[in-house]
Amino acid sequence: MSPTIIVEQLSKTYKVPEREGGFGAAVRSFFKRRYKDVKAVQEVSFSIAQGEVVGFLGPNGAGKTTTLKMLSGLLHPTGGKANVLGFTPWELKTDYLRSMTLVMGQRNRLSWDIPAADSFLLAQAIYRIPDDEYRKTYKELDELLELAPLMKKPVRNLSLGERMKCEIAAGLLHRPKVLFLDEPTIGLDISGQARIREFLREYNRRTGATILLTSHYMADVTALCERIIIIHQGQLKYDGGIGNLSRRIAPFKLIGVMLAKSNGFDLSRYGEPVQNEEDAEKHYIRVKAGDVTKVTSRMLSDLPIHDITITDPPIEDVIERAFNE
Amino acid sequence: MYFFKLISTLFKVNVQMAVAYRADALVNILLNIMWLGWELLGLSIIFSNTDTLGGWGFGELIALLGVFRIVHTMMMTLVWPNTEKFNQSIRDGSMDYTILQPVSSMFLVTFSRINIWRTWDLVLSIVLIVIGVNLAGEVATPLSILNFILLTLSGAVVIYSLWIVMIAFTFYFTKFDNNVTILQALLDSGRYPVSVYPPWLQVIVTFIIPIAVATTIPVQGLRQELGTPQVLMFAVIAAVSFLVASLFWKAGLKRYSGASS
Repeated sequence: MSPTIIVEQLSKTYKVPEREGGFGAAVRSFFKRRYKDVKAVQEVSFSIAQGEVVGFLGPNGAGKTTTLKMLSGLLHPTGGKANVLGFTPWELKTDYLRSMTLVMGQRNRLSWDIPAADSFLLAQAIYRIPDDEYRKTYKELDELLELAPLMKKPVRNLSLGERMKCEIAAGLLHRPKVLFLDEPTIGLDISGQARIREFLREYNRRTGATILLTSHYMADVTALCERIIIIHQGQLKYDGGIGNLSRRIAPFKLIGVMLAKSNGFDLSRYGEPVQNEEDAEKHYIRVKAGDVTKVTSRMLSDLPIHDITITDPPIEDVIERAFNE
Repeated sequence: MYFFKLISTLFKVNVQMAVAYRADALVNILLNIMWLGWELLGLSIIFSNTDTLGGWGFGELIALLGVFRIVHTMMMTLVWPNTEKFNQSIRDGSMDYTILQPVSSMFLVTFSRINIWRTWDLVLSIVLIVIGVNLAGEVATPLSILNFILLTLSGAVVIYSLWIVMIAFTFYFTKFDNNVTILQALLDSGRYPVSVYPPWLQVIVTFIIPIAVATTIPVQGLRQELGTPQVLMFAVIAAVSFLVASLFWKAGLKRYSGASS
């Protein structure tokens, strides 16, 4: 059987207006604009078989979203070919659009002012889903995502996690064979992320749908994907099993501590200090995964610790690090 | 059939959005009546000084006001709310989802917002037209009514096409929030017959921003001033402008590259 998604030498170059800072430069650029070519995706090739769940990773600006947008048909590539389910995506054939979905964690598909139930009915009309099929799909989605209590409230009154459940369900009402998910768990709390993850795994098992997803959360990827594709600066860097990758580049954990007295302690004795902008109150160090227990107990006995956390390093850092080293 | 079903679903969704704001409905209806009174007062003041305006009598101008209100209703129920939604969806990137629906994005952009309280303006418009024609002492024949309907539809399609072209420019420039201001500015000229304006403005409102096509000309059809070939010509103009607008829209979509990369 031929693969569901085939990507050959896919490239996208954006023309981005560019100017120096300052008033004079702004006025000059009004009359004569200079453009800079930004190579967002460069000759990326891969193929994905039916039913596979593939994690698509890379730091911000690596070209993940651009690739997903080309594969879903939103963007025309500057070069190369793609074939999804036998269609060239950017031709936007109706039959193609009816058999795939793109869910973006940071965009809203549902209308804010009306309950999700009404947006669902609109989707049913647009995708021409027969009533009995619609009921069946909805029942299944409801079972997996517990939608019923959310359907009657206007979407703007839902929490982020509740809204994301509805967004994902709305994108799946037409039973797409291919799912492109761009950060489907972004901004959700741990249990929210776990629920979406669990849902995707079950959905894939039940329907045999092919899933390509990007995520910032290592756990999303390790829980769902056996295979990952990494791109960095628009180029494909890794395509293969996840086991190899985490052995190769992520055998580290982050230990974060909040100290009763903040200065005067040298944390570099325990591991490599790292900056964490999201949580400036804590001091973070990076240690080998195998040493975590040992280092933690030493720190607990040596230091006046208020609070301690052990986390996976953000996937972006891992990848950034792996390819910069 | 599919499109009718879609429009009716969209209509239902919009009714639900609208009933959430009951006070809004009442204010809308009252405002409509006030505006109508204001406009009629204006006309009666003009006609207390003169018998004709650009060759048109009082009754004829009331009929024209009715036709103008039809175009105005189209603008208020569909064009303005959907322009607002369109500009917002370009900014926040939800346009991406619109493009990926398996239905014409131009259709979705046209009908996704329907300001349903304004649809009742249509009733007012038709009442005005009937009263105006009667006051003018004209006899409406089945043919003149048919001509009138055809010309009104053609005019609406021409204005609609123009709107599509204007908002499609947003695909090229990304930031183009005032995309329909010029349409709004010139639309008001439609409440008087095109013959009252100086020649240069007549040219603009007939050919460049053809407001007159949607207002003066249908009333001329009702007055039986236009022959069948002319009526058909306007229908062809409407079809061509719709085609051009669709092509322009498609070309714009190709240029569109989303709010972020």
